[in-house]
Amino acid sequence: MKNLYQPNFAKIEKIEALSPSVKLLRLRKRLNFIPAQFVLAGVWGYGEAPFGVASSPYEKRYFDLMIRDVGMVSSAIHSLKKGDEITIRGPYGNGFPLEFLKGKDVVMVSGGCGIPPIASLIEYFIKNRKNFGRIYLLYGAATSEDILIKDKIKQWGKADVKILLTVDKPTSDWQGYTGFVTELIKEIKINPLDAVAAMCGPGPMTSAVEKILRPLGLPDRRIFVSDERKMHCGIGKCQHCTTGDKYVCLDGPVFNYDQIDKNWD
Amino acid sequence: MVSVLEKSRIPELLEDLSKKYSVAYFQKDKTALSAKGYFFPPQETLFSYLFKNKKLSLSPKPKKKFLLFGLDPIDLEALDQLDEIMTKPKEDYFYLQQRKNSVIVGLAEYPLKVPVTVGDLILDKINENQYRAVALSKIGRELIKNKNFKLEKNPEILNYPEETSGLRELVKDSEFLSEVVLWSWRTKHPIWDKLGKICLGCGICTYVCPICHCFSIEDEIKLDGSDCQRCRLWDACTLNNFAKIAGGKNYRPNQKFRYFNWFHHKFVRAYKEYGKSQCVGCGRCQKYCPAHIDIEKVLLEIIKDYKNEKSLSA
Repeated sequence: MKNLYQPNFAKIEKIEALSPSVKLLRLRKRLNFIPAQFVLAGVWGYGEAPFGVASSPYEKRYFDLMIRDVGMVSSAIHSLKKGDEITIRGPYGNGFPLEFLKGKDVVMVSGGCGIPPIASLIEYFIKNRKNFGRIYLLYGAATSEDILIKDKIKQWGKADVKILLTVDKPTSDWQGYTGFVTELIKEIKINPLDAVAAMCGPGPMTSAVEKILRPLGLPDRRIFVSDERKMHCGIGKCQHCTTGDKYVCLDGPVFNYDQIDKNWD
Repeated sequence: MVSVLEKSRIPELLEDLSKKYSVAYFQKDKTALSAKGYFFPPQETLFSYLFKNKKLSLSPKPKKKFLLFGLDPIDLEALDQLDEIMTKPKEDYFYLQQRKNSVIVGLAEYPLKVPVTVGDLILDKINENQYRAVALSKIGRELIKNKNFKLEKNPEILNYPEETSGLRELVKDSEFLSEVVLWSWRTKHPIWDKLGKICLGCGICTYVCPICHCFSIEDEIKLDGSDCQRCRLWDACTLNNFAKIAGGKNYRPNQKFRYFNWFHHKFVRAYKEYGKSQCVGCGRCQKYCPAHIDIEKVLLEIIKDYKNEKSLSA
């Protein structure tokens, strides 16, 4: 019998500050995953926590996590340096439904620290660009400092991904949009009959965007959201990540809005 | 021929068995807790990690097999459910290792009419002095060879009443309960507001339940900093931080949500996952809730209102 709780070890190849509160962790280990699948990363003495994988699913040599210093485990990870080891379990969860997305226009919406699974999805799209219609990334953050991986975003723009960035509090040199991500919806041109949305971000943002996507003609079943919950086991036992009759670790983290909408918690 | 055990020989039998097994005699009336803790302890070490040589190790296997004696049919049923939960859809290594290393001897205080589906040996009372022994596994067939058992041609089989309760009868219709509990939330039944105020959020109902199995995994470091233990601890979904994530958002922000989740898991999600309620009606949560919440009464109240509404709309 396989021990699914047994962690593997991964060496930190690179650690880089992406913003005052977010660090990129490059781990030297091959991980076969689908964008929006996640790992449980741990530091001995602090425990484990779930993180979405941010790098390209085609990358064989390493994978990246983007970690905001917000809890016990993430804060312990922030104090690590290059060459240190962390524990890894996974990948877990379902990931975005890549086959279903094929041939369609895609609107991706992300806010704050919700960018990792979206970043991974974009890398997948770019590798398979001809299989998809128009691709949009709507990305909002509090300040321009909080827009992560700006260089990457620039590269995506050159690879036929339409980028729309917005911040709540612009500085004088800010060239993107100002205001909530919801404001950006009017800038996009999609065929609602053949389009999908993929979102990851704070709850109020995703529910606000969903309210706007519906009038555009996008049915709930084609709006995909990567959800977040507390998690201890990753294999559907511990009960921390349940939402309605679903487990975020097994049935999610990606749900279509039709599934989420009916949930009582 | 029927294999029987004289009631008076139970101590001798246990004495014999403890030469080979480490034996626990589970007596329901002597503890508030169920038997789940033998396989899913309140706190257990999953891994030890030595910082010095970066060595990861698992706890060593016990030398003797563990024999649990005395589970009644209700607790056997609960154990059967927990086995299924810990096996499907993914296997829980630590629970199943401890189960694999165990031998279960059930004890019913009435002659069984329905076959038991879990355990190695079942003893059921057939008269004031005797239990009938039925082996369910290879180990059970070994146990029955013990000198304290004897074969009898026609032992007296008397009729003792099966232990039952209102709750136990209720949970037999798990499909109905699943529908009623979900209905009560969707129609904003006032009972959930009421219970949200009464429930103390202490988690006792979960701890005493023979099926509740939620847990958290936490690290502990030895005082001298030499080694770290990754531990599994009992948790409870009625505790206030159960669904709270780093950064502070709590997906079940008040007691009403947390208490309903306990119900929702037992009667709605469990039914969807495994086709039955995760309640065998053992009565422990009814007996030990410090706020005197009686889940039988809760179920009866919402069932009454459900039936009323359905008959009005019909």
